[in-house]
Amino acid sequence: MTAAPPPPTLQGFANEPVLELRRASVRSSLGPALESLDAALPVRVPVSVGADARTGGGARLQSSDPGAPGRVVAVAEIASVDDVDAAVAEAARGAPAWSRLAPERRAQALISAAAWMRARRLELAALEVRECAKPWREADADVCEAIDYLEYYARGAIALGRGRELLQVPGERNELHYAPRGVVGVISPWNFPLAIPCGMTAAALAVGNTVVLKPAEQSPGLGQRLRDALLAGGVPPAAISLAPGAAETGAALVAHPGVRAIAFTGSLAVGRRIIAQAAQAAPGQRHFKPVIAELGGKNCVIVAADADLDEAIPAIVASAFGYAGQKCSAAARVLVCEPIAPQLLERLAGAVHALAIGQAQELDTDVPPVIEREAMERVGRYAAEAAARGRIAAQAQPPDGEGWLCPATLATDLPDGSPVLEDEIFGPLLAVQSVRDVEAACDAVDGLSYALTGGLFSRDPATVSRVRARTPVGNLYVNRAITGAMVGRQPFGGNRLSGTGLKAGGPDYLLQFVEQRAVCENTMRHGLEV
Amino acid sequence: MSGTAELERELVRVGRRLAAAFPSSSHQPLRALDERAMQMASADRELRAALFRFVDVVPACRSLDDLARHLVSYLEQVPETPPPLAAAMRISATRAGRAALGAAAAGGVRHLAHRFIVGETPEAALGTLSRLWEDGIGTSVDLLGEATVTEAEADRYAARCAGALQRLAAATPGWPPRPVLEQDPHGPLPRTNVCVKVSALTPLLRPDAPRRGQLDAAARLRPLLRVARDAGAHLHIDMESLDTREAVLELVLGLLAEEEFGAGPSAGVVVQAYLRDSPAQLERILEWARAGRRSTPLTVRLVKGAYWDHELVQARQHGWEVPVFEHRRDCDRNFEALTRALLAAFPDVRVAVASHNLRSVAHAIAANRLSGAPDSALELQVLRGLGDDLGRALASEGHRVRSYCPVGDMVSGMAYLVRRLLENTSNDSFLFARAHGAPLDELLKAP
Ligand SMILES: Cc1cc2nc3c(=O)[nH]c(=O)nc-3n(C[C@H](O)[C@H](O)[C@H](O)COP(=O)(O)OP(=O)(O)OC[C@H]3O[C@@H](n4cnc5c(N)ncnc54)[C@H](O)[C@@H]3O)c2cc1C
Repeated sequence: MTAAPPPPTLQGFANEPVLELRRASVRSSLGPALESLDAALPVRVPVSVGADARTGGGARLQSSDPGAPGRVVAVAEIASVDDVDAAVAEAARGAPAWSRLAPERRAQALISAAAWMRARRLELAALEVRECAKPWREADADVCEAIDYLEYYARGAIALGRGRELLQVPGERNELHYAPRGVVGVISPWNFPLAIPCGMTAAALAVGNTVVLKPAEQSPGLGQRLRDALLAGGVPPAAISLAPGAAETGAALVAHPGVRAIAFTGSLAVGRRIIAQAAQAAPGQRHFKPVIAELGGKNCVIVAADADLDEAIPAIVASAFGYAGQKCSAAARVLVCEPIAPQLLERLAGAVHALAIGQAQELDTDVPPVIEREAMERVGRYAAEAAARGRIAAQAQPPDGEGWLCPATLATDLPDGSPVLEDEIFGPLLAVQSVRDVEAACDAVDGLSYALTGGLFSRDPATVSRVRARTPVGNLYVNRAITGAMVGRQPFGGNRLSGTGLKAGGPDYLLQFVEQRAVCENTMRHGLEV
Repeated sequence: MSGTAELERELVRVGRRLAAAFPSSSHQPLRALDERAMQMASADRELRAALFRFVDVVPACRSLDDLARHLVSYLEQVPETPPPLAAAMRISATRAGRAALGAAAAGGVRHLAHRFIVGETPEAALGTLSRLWEDGIGTSVDLLGEATVTEAEADRYAARCAGALQRLAAATPGWPPRPVLEQDPHGPLPRTNVCVKVSALTPLLRPDAPRRGQLDAAARLRPLLRVARDAGAHLHIDMESLDTREAVLELVLGLLAEEEFGAGPSAGVVVQAYLRDSPAQLERILEWARAGRRSTPLTVRLVKGAYWDHELVQARQHGWEVPVFEHRRDCDRNFEALTRALLAAFPDVRVAVASHNLRSVAHAIAANRLSGAPDSALELQVLRGLGDDLGRALASEGHRVRSYCPVGDMVSGMAYLVRRLLENTSNDSFLFARAHGAPLDELLKAP
């Protein structure tokens, strides 16, 4: 690896550069990083309530390598209802001190946490390779994104701390400022196992909240590393408690009357439950509990008749099969205009056929194992449904060997209303449909309940502006892949049932973690302006 | 007199002679028309973008109406449309007008494409290739293709290359003798010369994971090397963007070192001088060549590099160190240094300098002469359509020139065509400076 760039100052934000893996010298650093990680496994993840860590005395869960399920990656204590209670109480105790700090001081802690991660880029990426079967390139990108969130929200909070300009007239002074909500419960997924929990947590902390984090039960090890980073950066233990566990722990956190807001990223089904539960105020609870939710997607790529297929095909394949399709932004459907449908299908089929299914740590792998057995079986059911009611246009088969390996599947000729066309499958399965024209494609997109990402390939500026005007999706990508949103460049988040939140990594995200306070002071006394 | 001063003096002499030998373009009225279009395009960034985007989309359009609508759609984005184009936009209001506009525009693009692409198939190109040969200009045939995303496409491309090698090898023995083109100090030179792109030989070339793509490409490149060897032809492996450089170079040098290729075919690789680390790359190639595993010397084609904007943007987007020089003069200086390093490596490699820059070319000729080598130790290469005048001037001065001749249909040729048009109209390019009347002394000045 080349020398690390100097840490950015508080002034400018720049995305953390991903590893330049096209260089052999950079690639050669990966193997040793994985070896030294393996020697240190499993990661022990206690329940951390402020400065207290509880190991033992309760139930445990384990995360394992999806590519080698016998390998235990992390062993975590499950936070009980009592633990959650204690964590929230501790967070509430820690809130006043943390919120009283100047935004610059909190920002400094987050930026130092980013520096801690930057110094451990490969180690953290290696843990993602093992705990979540993230291929190196994507694991590295996830670590970079986590760093970006810390750096970006730290700066955003400083700006927010200055308040907003209001109209001023003689005799009064008007102010609008932003105060933290208090204790925020963060419930995060495994598919971006460092970046997403980091983003939600960093946003909450940056503006002065304290956090109880429940990482996904599939990736507690990375949740622990996030807490390590924040503590190392100078965030006080009381401001970041860790409550590992599964649904029960999450439910306890959501229901807790001391929690002032929930930040959740995950499936629509769980999101709905959380939103319903959060709407139920506990006796004595004196606040509404907003839920900032990033949910699923059923993302479509529209291919117009004038698209450049040389560009479209690799981009579609990357969007649909990168990380085995386990991204909320992943492409699930291609809507291709009739004149080029046969050509696209043939070339796409050939490209899918050429995909290499394999282990995450192998750089040659295009499609890694899916996260767990249940996911593998679910993808298999949808593939069987596609074969029964439609047609499998291409399938790349996994090699023999262990791990939750799924074939990569391209399906077509599916009937309207097929679950393959409507459900979020969250796996390596892409459906292609031919449509009459771009308008018909827009109608199909408009018919979906999800509206997260979308793609368009066309070389006509008129088509681009028509689709831009019509699409309901939160993130539209034109003539490029539809995954890989960058902090500060492509603020990310969906509409409709894809989410309730303002866009992550964008200028408005922090507003969800604060209360607004407007103050008007009369400055006239006895005709005297004071 | 110092070496540098002597070199500069010889270089200016060579440059002036070449400039004087340029054919006058007044004999080619059609070319002058293209030039006017190019001039209009280079004067206005937005207009240039609009016109080139149109060129790019032409093969994808389904009808004249579709063509006209695309053209107008692009032109609408140009703040100030020059009068002839504004008129074009007005007539596009009616269906008949669109048909007329579409036909005219498609005709224009087809005409432009023919300037750069010699034929749809090697068969169709043979006439041009032999005419060039008779005029004292060798050729290298490049088969244009769409991106390779499937195994079937890779197989088809490999078959086209093999077919071209065989077809040309069957035809070239009938060409008349041209001693300058057939012999250099190393020995005889093949008449048949074909270029291939490794990225077209496999759908699996991933910048992060070169191994799989290399293996897959090797399975197609090896048979091509055999065909070239058996046909007595030269096979040149083009260089593409930095994403694939490591993979390509490792693959090619590895294959050529295999025992079965010890005695042939004649083969070559490319060094791109715009890359900051190109001196180290060249050193690696020369070291390989010095090991002397093969009886035919490796040809090294020195170019500046055709993916400058891509490399710059990609590096900026990822926050990587920019791998290319950012100032034209740094690139040109490096090109000259690499030229000298290559010439000094005689007899380990054959040297081909590919540039349309009169200074870069004159420098190579002068440096070669000052090293005491005959002119025949240096090959000069130009692109069909861009370097035709220079090629003719070089040939008339007795130099060995090869013209790189793309062959393929419109669909597959567009990406190539747009790249060449951009090059022709970029105001950072030598051709642009010359077309805009920069004085000869200026053009020959040291970078
Ligand atoms: C026969 C032949 C074969 C070729 N084969 C290949 C090949 O295999 N691979 C390949 O990549 N290219 C190839 N090229 C193209 C070549 O790389 C150049 O793009 C082209 O020849 C223009 O360079 P020039 O010396 O003719 O013109 P010049 O005008 O002297 O130089 C233009 C070149 O300078 C460089 N440049 C432009 N702006 C800047 C800047 N601001 N800072 C630094 N550098 C800059 C770019 O490389 C640009 O193409 C080939 C060219 C020829 C003639």
